[in-house]
Amino acid sequence: MSGFGAMNALAKRELIRQTRQPSRVIASVATPLMLWVFIAGGFSNAMGDIAGGGARLTAYTIPGMASLTVMFASIFAAISLIQDRHDGVLRAALVSPAPKWSIAMSKIGAGSVIALIQAMIVLLALPLLGVALTPAAVLGSIGALACISVALIGIGLAMAWLVDSTQGFHGVMNALLMPMWLLSGAIFPVEDAAGWMRIIALANPLTWAHGAMRSSLGMSDAFHPLLAWGISVAFAVGGACLGIWAISRSQKTA
Amino acid sequence: MSAIELHDLRVVYRRKGEPERVALDGFSLESDGEMLALLGPNGAGKSTLMGVISQTIKPQSGRVIAPSSRAGLSMVFQTTALDVLLTVRENLHVSAALHGISRTEAAKRIDELAAELRIEDRLDEQVRHLSGGLARRADLARALVPHPSLLLLDEPTTGLDIDARRSFWDSMRRIREQLGMTVLLATHLIDEAERADRVAMMSEGRCVGLETPSSFRSSLGERVLRIHAQEREQLEHAMAWLESIGHQAVAIDHTLIVEHAAEIDLQACPVEGVSLTLAPPTLEDAYSVRTNTGALA
Repeated sequence: MSGFGAMNALAKRELIRQTRQPSRVIASVATPLMLWVFIAGGFSNAMGDIAGGGARLTAYTIPGMASLTVMFASIFAAISLIQDRHDGVLRAALVSPAPKWSIAMSKIGAGSVIALIQAMIVLLALPLLGVALTPAAVLGSIGALACISVALIGIGLAMAWLVDSTQGFHGVMNALLMPMWLLSGAIFPVEDAAGWMRIIALANPLTWAHGAMRSSLGMSDAFHPLLAWGISVAFAVGGACLGIWAISRSQKTA
Repeated sequence: MSAIELHDLRVVYRRKGEPERVALDGFSLESDGEMLALLGPNGAGKSTLMGVISQTIKPQSGRVIAPSSRAGLSMVFQTTALDVLLTVRENLHVSAALHGISRTEAAKRIDELAAELRIEDRLDEQVRHLSGGLARRADLARALVPHPSLLLLDEPTTGLDIDARRSFWDSMRRIREQLGMTVLLATHLIDEAERADRVAMMSEGRCVGLETPSSFRSSLGERVLRIHAQEREQLEHAMAWLESIGHQAVAIDHTLIVEHAAEIDLQACPVEGVSLTLAPPTLEDAYSVRTNTGALA
């Protein structure tokens, strides 16, 4: 069998589950919005215009908050793998003839759709802050956020496969993803950071995805768009491959 | 060719900091068109064997010849494998899609199975709102949607009450009559093993007997003698008496079981304060005899 039918059915299942757990949407969107209010509200006057594009901190941090929303949604998507394993749904899928990549891709696909819808809610604040959401800006933002989402869900699936408890998974993901997000230009411009921090941030693929998104939104020209997009797409492909690889080696060797 | 052939399977679990544990030790079996029960206590290797057949556990050695692809194989696990947030119908459609069945064909099969399993009025309810027994039948429907030629049941009635268990097995019997598939049932419950055409008794990863339930029973003769005592000394005394009259016994906790015991004169038992019961043999007796050394613990 091709696996696309199985992938579609499993992805549809994820979307149905989402509509029946509205608390997940609220948790994913509310935390970044609160963080934005506190950070941007607190530092905006002190920092003035930043990032060379004349953007205020209130607007500058919105793409970072959108990516944080995607990050939370991605963590939820990956956690569902642990839940599926405990509920037996995953065992039934693994025993079926459906190829294992279809299981991983259904999680990545549906998780990304959910993450993007939530992130777009956050991005809707931009016009209120004086940043125009042109069709190109919207498409660019969706593309960059999709790269982040695919990569993070893929990495999350690999982690969820290794860690058998949601508590352990949260610990690992927080230790990995929060520093990654904080050092990605989400809340301050990387180009103005101290030397050592700048080096770390430039090695972080999330920095380049933020660069691609801000460049699409006309908020920053600190990164060459082609390079930023190239690294973002490679990040997505790498993350997805990692997730697929982890689930594909699901047969236990005793 | 049989629906399933297992040849000399060996699985050894090696975990850091723990001693090696042999889960399957040269296990072989063939089955076709029947319901075969794998009977054994917890840790006998039943679930490992199910894992090997369903290709989720890789054996160190041995060979499995199962349906030509996994399309012909389906499994009911110890706990239901349904998404509790989805309706029964949605779950069954997911199962059908995992087996490459078209949506139209799946809808037809779901209606048929729901009627057969008497869940047609609950198809559009979320699984979290179903009772344990209903969820189990819905889970059986999930496994049957692909019309498997080989169905694996891994202790499928765990946690069900008596009525729900009876209902599950009634449904299973009707479905087997219709679909005519091979069923491998892993269980530690004697009454469930009695429902099978043949029983493979498992102990410490090995098959210690493979016969029909009635053959197992008749192998113990017309009657078995069960001697129950509270004290170890009484059992030792009873053992000595049995040996003196040419019989061997196996000991299970505080009970001795003696096969081919119809001729034993119970009045001649010299041990006081023990309970003596002469009765037709059960599958449980047969299992005790096959898996015990006879020595007192």
